[in-house]
Amino acid sequence: MAQNISPEQSGAGGSSKHNDDSLPIKDNHAVSKRLHKELMNLMMANEKGISAFPDGENIFKWVGTIAGPINTVYSSQTYRLSLDFPNSYPYAAPVVKFLTPCFHPNVDLQGAICLDILKDKWSALYDVRTILLSIQSLLGEPNNESPLNAQAAMMWNDQNEYKKYLDAFYEKHKDT
Amino acid sequence: MASLEPTQNKTWDLSLYELQRKPQEIITDSTEIAVSPRSLHSELMCPICLDMLKKTMTTKECLHRFCSDCIVTALRSGNKECPTCRKKLVSKRSLRADPNFDLLISKIYPSREEYEASQEKIMAKFNPTQSQKALVNSINEGIKLQSQNRPQRFRTNKGGGGGGAAANNNGGGNASNSNRGVNAHDTASNDSNSNTNGNERESRDTSGATGAAAPAASAAAATTTPVSSSSSSSSNATNTTTTTQAGTSGASTSSNRMQVDDASNPPSVRSTPSPVPSNSSSTKPKRAMSVMTSERSEESESDSQMDCRTEGDSNIDTEGEGNGELGINDEIELVFKPHPTEMSPDNQLIRALKDNCVRYIKTTANATVDHLSKYLAIRLTLDLGADLPEACRLLNFCIYVAPQPQQLVILNGNQTLHQVNDKFWKVNKPMEMYYSWKKT
Repeated sequence: MAQNISPEQSGAGGSSKHNDDSLPIKDNHAVSKRLHKELMNLMMANEKGISAFPDGENIFKWVGTIAGPINTVYSSQTYRLSLDFPNSYPYAAPVVKFLTPCFHPNVDLQGAICLDILKDKWSALYDVRTILLSIQSLLGEPNNESPLNAQAAMMWNDQNEYKKYLDAFYEKHKDT
Repeated sequence: MASLEPTQNKTWDLSLYELQRKPQEIITDSTEIAVSPRSLHSELMCPICLDMLKKTMTTKECLHRFCSDCIVTALRSGNKECPTCRKKLVSKRSLRADPNFDLLISKIYPSREEYEASQEKIMAKFNPTQSQKALVNSINEGIKLQSQNRPQRFRTNKGGGGGGAAANNNGGGNASNSNRGVNAHDTASNDSNSNTNGNERESRDTSGATGAAAPAASAAAATTTPVSSSSSSSSNATNTTTTTQAGTSGASTSSNRMQVDDASNPPSVRSTPSPVPSNSSSTKPKRAMSVMTSERSEESESDSQMDCRTEGDSNIDTEGEGNGELGINDEIELVFKPHPTEMSPDNQLIRALKDNCVRYIKTTANATVDHLSKYLAIRLTLDLGADLPEACRLLNFCIYVAPQPQQLVILNGNQTLHQVNDKFWKVNKPMEMYYSWKKT
């Protein structure tokens, strides 16, 4: 396999080593074009429960919101997230973080999210919409096998207790 | 790899479907299959760059399509799997070029440059760096583009035939008018209108056939055959097809929403024409524009044409199209532009009209070309008022239709617009006509 790929790599000037941020300007244009298209599609689709918009002047930084999925302990909450797109988007995943504090087995206290599709299971077909929908469904269906927040993972089994803790947690973080 | 050495690794087990399937039969009669532009667009789009497929590559096993550049980059920078379905793709060898598909796309969008230019334009307008307001503008832009490519609606309210259907039709008409309202703001000044129109018309020509050809993929050659079918069948297709520019197909939903709004809220539509009479009596320079707006506002009134008439405005609807005649509800939409060569920018009339030389008109289908020409003469005289050069008074206009972008056909005065539409236009979008004037 390697011999099939190597001519490509040499052709691209060895960019494979650090191809995340070393793509030429032309590709940068392609990235912003794709992001603009996504934005347009999002505006037109008017998806329920999620929304996203570029944060200020930079099309590479977005802020998204997701509503907590109904029939889960998160149902009454709304979460803001930041999405940072690399120059190699959509070939590499954006960095997605919770801006609103989120008590969840797969979210740490800094807002980082442990989700396979944002790491090794990323595909160029994912977009802002599918990312936000995935995170929304992650809220209701955590993967307790690989927790970032061990306390939340341990508490998850008792949903009533979890809900109580969650309410207290949000009371505490009300102003942030 | 299995696809490369099928004999070594595994035998081919064909599913029942694969055993039974046969190529789709080529459509040779005038059958048309309507494809919604949205589904058409999703077929022609690369899911990675969200653009139209360029140098299509197809995965050999799972048959998903991508631009060559996109899939090569994806394989190089990510997992070695199909971005769509995660089927293992070991290398570029798991892909094959798909020239048939490229051919199909080039049939539907003959000029990629034009398509891309129009896309760029939309994108530029859509730039969020110019704040939310720019965003709203760009959405309007999308709606506008969509309205230009909106199917021509023949509104035939058949006597007793189902009030429900009639109401639907009216709703559609109103929606179209509200789109037109967006148009009114910069009708004449936008050059991209004509570009996209030309482009879109071609795409429209083939899109009916594409539905037939797409499943067969290789049957691109067949796309030309069904196009020549009668316009009656294509107007039937209107009901199921919404024509939008592929890139802005998202706008169709918002227009649908509008449709609902307007249908459920007729008073707001009704209120638009009220400023018309006062506008039409003023002779300020701005006036030409406001009258054009009024043309449009009155369109929105055309289900209740009595209103227009009593307002006594010199609108085409009252030019003698015979409101009392048959087929009053058969309406036809026109985009009226100056003749590209005979009405060059240094032409006296065009200079006087400045940006207001392109007109959007909706009128009854039984109006004749002569009616149009008379209408233009009166309209322009009114519009220009004192600005009108002496030589242009009482002008006679030649009216042309452009069945092909570069081909203008001069029209006989006694033809009705319905005939012209049947003979030359056929596609379901506002008919493009051109005018030039001759001194008498």
